[in-house]
Amino acid sequence: MLPLPSEDKKVSPYLAFYIVHSMQLGVVVFSFARTIVKEAGHDAWISVLIAGAAIHLILWMTYQIVIKGNNDITVIHRELFGKWLGGLLTLLLATYLMVIFVVIMRAYIEVIQVWMFPELQTWYMGILLSILVYLYVMGGFRVIVGLCLLSFFFTIPLLLSLLFPLANAQFSYLLPVMEHSTIEILEGTKQMAIIFSGFEVILFCYPFIKQGQRSHKWAQFGTAFTTFVYLAATMVPIVYFSEGQLEKTIWPTLTLWKIVDFPFLERFEYVGVSIWLFVMLPNLCLYLWAATRALKQLFSIQQRKMVMPLLFLTVFASTLIENGIQIRQFNTFVDWISFYIVFAYVPFVYLYQLISKKMRRSE
Amino acid sequence: MIKRNRPGPVAFKRSDVGKLISQCSESADFMSFKLDEDSPFYISYFQTLVDQNIVHQDVLSILKGSKFTSLEEIKDAVHVENIMLTTDVSSIQQRVMLGNILIYKQEAQPSCLLISASKMEKRQISIPETEYSVVGPKEAFVESLDTNINLIRKRIPIPDFQVKELTVGKLSKTRVAVAYIKGIADEENVNTVIQRINDINYDQLIDTSFISQMIADNGNSPFPQLVDTERPDRTASVLMEGKVAILVDGSPSALTGPTALVEFFSAYEDYLIVWSLGSVFRLIRLFAVTFSVLSTPLYVAILTYHYEVIPQDLLTALVSSRGGIPFPPILEAIVLELTIELLREAGARLPTKVGQTIGIVGGIVIGTAAVQAGLTSNVLLIVVALSALASFTTPVYQVSNAIRLIRFPFLLFAQLLGLLGVAVCSAMVLAHLFKLTSLGRPFLEPVYPLRLTDMKDALVRLPFNRQATRPLFMHPQNVLKLQQHSSQKDSKDIDE
Repeated sequence: MLPLPSEDKKVSPYLAFYIVHSMQLGVVVFSFARTIVKEAGHDAWISVLIAGAAIHLILWMTYQIVIKGNNDITVIHRELFGKWLGGLLTLLLATYLMVIFVVIMRAYIEVIQVWMFPELQTWYMGILLSILVYLYVMGGFRVIVGLCLLSFFFTIPLLLSLLFPLANAQFSYLLPVMEHSTIEILEGTKQMAIIFSGFEVILFCYPFIKQGQRSHKWAQFGTAFTTFVYLAATMVPIVYFSEGQLEKTIWPTLTLWKIVDFPFLERFEYVGVSIWLFVMLPNLCLYLWAATRALKQLFSIQQRKMVMPLLFLTVFASTLIENGIQIRQFNTFVDWISFYIVFAYVPFVYLYQLISKKMRRSE
Repeated sequence: MIKRNRPGPVAFKRSDVGKLISQCSESADFMSFKLDEDSPFYISYFQTLVDQNIVHQDVLSILKGSKFTSLEEIKDAVHVENIMLTTDVSSIQQRVMLGNILIYKQEAQPSCLLISASKMEKRQISIPETEYSVVGPKEAFVESLDTNINLIRKRIPIPDFQVKELTVGKLSKTRVAVAYIKGIADEENVNTVIQRINDINYDQLIDTSFISQMIADNGNSPFPQLVDTERPDRTASVLMEGKVAILVDGSPSALTGPTALVEFFSAYEDYLIVWSLGSVFRLIRLFAVTFSVLSTPLYVAILTYHYEVIPQDLLTALVSSRGGIPFPPILEAIVLELTIELLREAGARLPTKVGQTIGIVGGIVIGTAAVQAGLTSNVLLIVVALSALASFTTPVYQVSNAIRLIRFPFLLFAQLLGLLGVAVCSAMVLAHLFKLTSLGRPFLEPVYPLRLTDMKDALVRLPFNRQATRPLFMHPQNVLKLQQHSSQKDSKDIDE
């Protein structure tokens, strides 16, 4: 067990807003509208709202776990499940983080390959991204959180660009409300909730936040803001595309950006995909940081020594996924894990911790 | 027997002072003579370091007339500010090298009298050249440390303004002064600065820029981590905010720190004009720097990969200007950027009058000729010239060098990956900036960590009555600048 980080390595509580928000937002913004519309049709926006509410609850549980444990999840694992089982869980969680890392990296590279450079080699872009991740992770947690903050400011103009399609929107597409059955909407909610994942990183970085309890409020605000962003990014495609068209569009947001038209700039998607680098980069950096931090807690290997090998591994893994079909298959698989981590694992640890504390007290 | 008891010339010469004198005597400008035939005193000094007036009027005229027997008597008789009687050889050496007159008695113990008579050549105070402002004070630092401290002290006439003096440099023995206001500046910052200066282990220290490089948190960064200013008013002003200033004897500038990136875009003139104007000018400068770094890379990226992003009408203009040019955009851009750098280097190394000619020859003749010869497009010429112009808008000279430099990696990445390359390179530069600290304080403050209270004097400058607190990032001991009281103006209704 490592000592808690010193004050000068910690960040202010309000930064939890940016951490949570930037972790929940990622490459998936380009494509998620299609997956939920497939399930819930034009009522998808209700799914987004329900998913947002559910995530607020799970985030609350996450915070309860770390506040009670007053350390990161690796230590809490050890306290709750003992050295071996706890260690195994931590290892699995770290592996999950690295798998998500690969998914995000590959998904972004695919967007670049489809929308900007069809000839771009996966390994080439993978190495470039790895260099960036390396630079940030070596700077430590504070530097990564700085990137999270920055990514927030980059998201806003990109969101404003969604106003352009509204000129041609058909708001009647939203009607009738609740046309789809509750089951369908809940199916959409399930899809949506996965997209919100990423905030689990709080389990690892909680000790690095000053006055961690106070940061809870900010983390909830962050989730609220993400819900708003996703709501906007769902509503706009729904009112712009017809339902059949939307189901055939893999990256609705990118397609919408094609409409943006300035006197000096057209085809905004080129700019958008480039700037989106700043939105997905914090995800990569924090996942890698959290994974190496977990491994450090487990095996006491220096974090800086693990960054390079892990990055090589992920670049190698992402080159193995060759085409869009494989990417989506892999994605579905990882989404399934994410879903259970968020909605089964986190509540389980929360309840287990609650009960074991009660038991200990009654003894 | 007798010879042994008498500490004669031979014995004295063996001592350290004797060694020092014989060592110095090898220089042509060292004077050493006996006062009179029958006087026991010897006088030595560097002719080039002492003020002849003091030597003749205050020292020699008194000594020649009367018959002194001990150094103490001379000490009482000579009316010069700084007289010292000492036996410590190292301090004797130090003071002789600073222009003191050394008086010693051949037969006596090796105790010596040192009379300060130094004469240091210095330039008159002139107007600031690199940080000129139309309004406001027109004084600039000169090469004399005492004059520079005087210029600051007269602006802060309080005893809390303190100066710590250190001597650095094995050979140059440079006097370095660390100035700060006690009770406002964070002691930690002061100690960091003093400790880092003491740790300098180098034989020469000619200018503040040496110190700036040696005590920087990251010595390899192209971004300066301490502000280099030649304005005493600016220095005094930041001292009162709680910063620490470093002055070096022989250098016409002061270093102030800790600093943040935004400070490099604030000109002192921003404070001398109305806050609204000052804020707009500051924003223009920020925009100019962004433009200067990104415009040419964006040109290369868009014309190489993504001409689709340019609307049709604009594209027509671009195509007609680029039609028939035999080079790809990257080559065109690099050649033009290098030409501008050449002009700048040539201009900087030449005397002002010739420099202007170079500017005209380079800017107008070469530029027009290159476009007419079909070697470069006039759109790119406009872009490159504008970005060069924009890079000159930074009020602190050192940072404009950094901006000059980072443009080239951006160009390279624009060629590699188009707009995405520009984003990748920006992310790299930002990673560097996020990591950078100035005396241990974050360099990007108040943007990251976000501090809204410090925003009042960062990207914009709010009016003075809003500037109630000192910048928090340097942890001032006394935060409040002014006592705020509710202003009557706001509560009054119309026509009251």
